[in-house]
Amino acid sequence: MIAVQDIRKNFGDKPVHRGISFEARDKETLVVLGKSGGGKSVLLKMIIGLLRPDSGSIEVDGRNVVTMSYRELQALRFRFGLLFQGAALFDSLTVRENIALALRQRGTYKEHDLSEIVAYALSIVGLEGAEDLMPASLSGGMKKRVGLARAIAPNPRYMLYDEPTTGLDVETADGINLLINDLRSKLGVTSIVVTHDIHSAFVVGDRFAILEGGVTIMTGTRAEIDKTRNEDVRKYINSSLSPSRSSPP
Amino acid sequence: MDIAVEPAAPAAFRDPSFFTHIGRKAIAALENLGRYVGLIWWILRNLRNAREYSKTFFAQMVQIGNDSIPIVIFVSTFVGMVTAVQSAHQLYSWIPKTVVGGLVIKSVLLELTPLLTALVLAGKVGATITAELGTMRVTEQIDALEAMGYDSISFLVTPRIVAGIIMFPVLVVFGDLLAVCGGLFGATVVSDVPGGAFINGIKSSFVSWDAFFGIIKATIFGYTITSIACYKGYFVEGGSAGVGKATMATVVLTCLTVVMLDFILASVLL
Repeated sequence: MIAVQDIRKNFGDKPVHRGISFEARDKETLVVLGKSGGGKSVLLKMIIGLLRPDSGSIEVDGRNVVTMSYRELQALRFRFGLLFQGAALFDSLTVRENIALALRQRGTYKEHDLSEIVAYALSIVGLEGAEDLMPASLSGGMKKRVGLARAIAPNPRYMLYDEPTTGLDVETADGINLLINDLRSKLGVTSIVVTHDIHSAFVVGDRFAILEGGVTIMTGTRAEIDKTRNEDVRKYINSSLSPSRSSPP
Repeated sequence: MDIAVEPAAPAAFRDPSFFTHIGRKAIAALENLGRYVGLIWWILRNLRNAREYSKTFFAQMVQIGNDSIPIVIFVSTFVGMVTAVQSAHQLYSWIPKTVVGGLVIKSVLLELTPLLTALVLAGKVGATITAELGTMRVTEQIDALEAMGYDSISFLVTPRIVAGIIMFPVLVVFGDLLAVCGGLFGATVVSDVPGGAFINGIKSSFVSWDAFFGIIKATIFGYTITSIACYKGYFVEGGSAGVGKATMATVVLTCLTVVMLDFILASVLL
């Protein structure tokens, strides 16, 4: 379980988080909804210790990430897969090497086994035979899928998705959403998805945390969101569902 | 009606933001220095981690050393030629021609090859390192490495600095040899100095300490250029524009530091 408690974070004089709290229970997908620029990506980086909050706690399996040493954080990160918004592929490495890099750090594999795992991870994201391509020759959607293959190849316990469907066409976005659901249902992966794409959020999410102005204004299921009388939540949901605010096709 | 006008202070001093600006610059410089020292301290404390990434290290040896050979050949040969030609031109007719060889070997070993190689490589190697690491930072590739459990400093920075420390002296020794060959060519073909006299001049003036001094300088320049370039690239901020600024800053800062260190090393070691 991942429990985020009263996280506060400033960048210079600018407060980004002023009290964020939520928890992602085992084997569920929690979607963190909020406007662009609201510090959602920062939140994911704090969960795996790439950034430290100014105050508050983040517990993963009962241990506080905020107070961990660098070595402890390295060990913790082996339990996570992170899909970056821009995929963050290493542009000097092939697709195979990108995925293998994540595996090599976590154990000693024979080259044959590495190739098998890479091929399997690529088949999951529908990119069979893409091993020898360079990232520069991939489309945005393909990059994201390779990024996802790299994140899931080491078989992580937790998956963090940073805007997984932003900038993708509807078909590719639907494919990514299905993958997120498959990972939860077939492998029992606990996931946190941060997005401002509410349509995708409702497809993949079991529960939702809605951020507004640097604080969590609601956490709950889809049914609880639909029934809420919280004006801020209703306003956020309605404005996000309007066609002009939805993610690009 | 006459109006008495008091002499005004310079505009910069009347403006309180001038002092604020100076103060902020000073704080930023100290912050940078602290972060640089922190980076080097981290590298030294985690050298054992870097051994795991030996493949990256050999790739950097090739990039810094092998890929710089053409430019070193070009610069060193011409430096040797021009030193020989200018030395011969400045000598009185009654001074023996062997002096040309002596001047070339002394200038090349002590100063010209280490300094000019370092300045050229500050542009080539320094800019490349900063641009590479800076791009990796702004495209979150460094975050991705950390997220996979890699120690990104040991994986990216340490191999570059160690490769610089090893390959710069190798390039300088190579450059020394080429500069002497260039000097021989310039002296004999352009300035009519007999080849035998030139070589005798080299033999009589060669002191092994001069070559060793050049190697010490190259080692220090190698560390300086790669460490500054890595620092600027690893901590880049501000997207692609930030990468451009950091790359330019690396070239300027490494060139200035190399020239300054050149003077300090000459003062201390000679």
